[in-house]
Amino acid sequence: MTPGERRAAVMSYSVAIVGALLLQSVSSQNEPSISTSEHTTLSKESGTYTLQCNLTSSSPPQESYWMKNGEEIPETRSPNRQTEYKLNKPRGDDAGWYMCVYTFEMSPPANATIDIRSAPDIIGHKRSENKNEGQVAVLYCKSVGYPHPAWTWHKFDDGVHREIDNTSGRFFINSRDNYTELNIMDLDIVSDPGEYHCNATNMFGSRDQMILLRVRSNLAPLWPLLGVLAEIIILVVIIVVYEKRKKPEDLQDDDDSPGPVKTNSTNNHKDKNLRQRNTN
Amino acid sequence: MPPAPANELGYKPLDGGWGWMVVVGAHISIGFAYSTPKVLSIFFKEIQENLEASSSEIAWISSIMLAVMYAGGPVSSLLVNHFGSRPIVMLGGLLCGVSMVTASFGNSIVYLYLCIGVIGGCGLSLNLNASLTIISKYFLIKRPLANGLAMAGSPVFLCILAPVNQYLLDMFGWRGSLLILGGLMLNCCVAGALMRPVAQPGRRSTSGPLNEVEKPPNNTKPKIDCMNRAKTFMDFTFFKDRGFVIYLIGNVLFIFGAYAPIVFLSAYAIDQGVEEYSAAYLLSIMGFVDMFVRPATGLIASSKWIRPRIQYFFSFAMVFNGTCHLLCPLVNSYAFLVTYAAFFGLSFGMVFALIFECLMDLMGNQRFPSAVGLVTIIECFPMLLGPPAAGLLVDFFDDYRYLFFMCGSVIVTGGLFLFVMNIYNYYMLDKEKAAKVRELNQITMENQDQVNISS
Repeated sequence: MTPGERRAAVMSYSVAIVGALLLQSVSSQNEPSISTSEHTTLSKESGTYTLQCNLTSSSPPQESYWMKNGEEIPETRSPNRQTEYKLNKPRGDDAGWYMCVYTFEMSPPANATIDIRSAPDIIGHKRSENKNEGQVAVLYCKSVGYPHPAWTWHKFDDGVHREIDNTSGRFFINSRDNYTELNIMDLDIVSDPGEYHCNATNMFGSRDQMILLRVRSNLAPLWPLLGVLAEIIILVVIIVVYEKRKKPEDLQDDDDSPGPVKTNSTNNHKDKNLRQRNTN
Repeated sequence: MPPAPANELGYKPLDGGWGWMVVVGAHISIGFAYSTPKVLSIFFKEIQENLEASSSEIAWISSIMLAVMYAGGPVSSLLVNHFGSRPIVMLGGLLCGVSMVTASFGNSIVYLYLCIGVIGGCGLSLNLNASLTIISKYFLIKRPLANGLAMAGSPVFLCILAPVNQYLLDMFGWRGSLLILGGLMLNCCVAGALMRPVAQPGRRSTSGPLNEVEKPPNNTKPKIDCMNRAKTFMDFTFFKDRGFVIYLIGNVLFIFGAYAPIVFLSAYAIDQGVEEYSAAYLLSIMGFVDMFVRPATGLIASSKWIRPRIQYFFSFAMVFNGTCHLLCPLVNSYAFLVTYAAFFGLSFGMVFALIFECLMDLMGNQRFPSAVGLVTIIECFPMLLGPPAAGLLVDFFDDYRYLFFMCGSVIVTGGLFLFVMNIYNYYMLDKEKAAKVRELNQITMENQDQVNISS
């Protein structure tokens, strides 16, 4: 190859590279790129945590806003390229998937997702449930945390966690996202009472909560009722017998005024219109 | 000094002895009568879920029970006049027990209206009237104390039944609780057994040999008895009695304003920023103070300084109650609300300890049963209208202060009215008495002249 030919080859090669680079930069100008803060997992010591999104393409956005779990967070709209959302002392219910959304005049909107993850924590449940036999019991658990946990129910019998035995077909479990429900139809007083545990598990942790189910017998109130009736009958009998025993003695003293009128008091209350006879 | 109405008993009441057992019986009976409509509300939430009724439909149960209890006054007066207190209280207790037991099997809200509301209300109205009557038969000198002790049954049973009902509800559900509550209400039969009738000469009694002597005349004159009974059923001659009308007007004004503050106290406290439990605590404070104030007021009213002026004491208590309500909205702090609740309990207890004692004082023992029946049926209207009217005020002005101002001013008006009109009434009674004495003196002088002339 002559020196002239080598120079031409280098020139065309570098033009090709520059051209390719130029093409690259032109095409990246059409696609907006957003740099975000990292996905993070909440811990107990988390102080204020800031979610950041920075639009690094050249065309300015019309507006930007934040969404949490698919719903817009109010009062987060701003016209800036850089937008942030602060979580003060984030707790379990702050976990979820957050999205910063940029809208443009001439182009479709762009977004980026940041996951705030945490282990599940069970926040809503009834500590105990009292129902009569034959009724329907609804045991529920609510949780916070992301990703949404997988729910399981167990019964704690004789010191052992058991799967719920649904051979009778009376147990129905409904679970969605952060809520689970265990419906027990036609409560049976022998097999159903006891400790039920709802368990929420995701890749960061697992949590368990106990609910106590008590089934009242329909005949239970009869014993106290019989006790009360017995007490009443005994008292009435005592009072009537006491009165019958006092009566013959009273009748001897009765002239035309009942009760012990015999009194030594000459206390005629002067300001009352009372005519008294002081006997004895 | 106001004259006590002539004691028409014709015998010296016991004023002690077995009378105190009668007071115990009246305490139990009145306690159930006043507290049952209030404590039933503990069951309402569960009944509402079970029978799928709305809140207002459920609240009607208490209202019907209270309305029937007050409206049944004249009927129970009639029965008490005819049969005496003991059988009526036992019948009342039986009705209450039966009402609760049958209600526990209910499946519709209308069934509960009938069982608890109507039958239960009838039982309670029989209890109330008969208990008050027997006290007036057993006590004269210590009657205010006996009345105070008996009326104290209302706050005592409220304080006892409220936690008991909550416990029963947790243990047995609402059906089981109503069943057991029905059994507990049969204790009114025990109370009735304690109310040994006072066998008076010349009057029908339900025990002893006197009854057999009176039976033949009764059998031969049923028709005349019926007519007399119809007359005493709604004895409108009471309205000619000046003292009775004054008492009635004052009482109607009091009852109109008395219950609304109780109903709305918790809501007002929560509105002022107090926690729910602390707000409920205010009512407990009021009930607790009430419990001790009623017998204490009875004791004070029995003393020789107050007894002759008992009507004035009653109007003072009413004005005190009204003033408490007027002062309540002035300061917004929890400590002040607690003080208000305590003074509210104090004044409420004072008024209720004296409310029936004053009627007995005005009417005398013979006319008291019929009078109290008439008073309760007329009081039915302000009692049912008062809280909803106050609620309307709250809704209209969106401010609880006007409720307290309204109730306070109505009650103060009632108290002042009683005070002024009683001065007038006693003045007129003194005048009439002086006129009678002059007449009697004239007649005796004429008789003496005739004797002198003839001898």
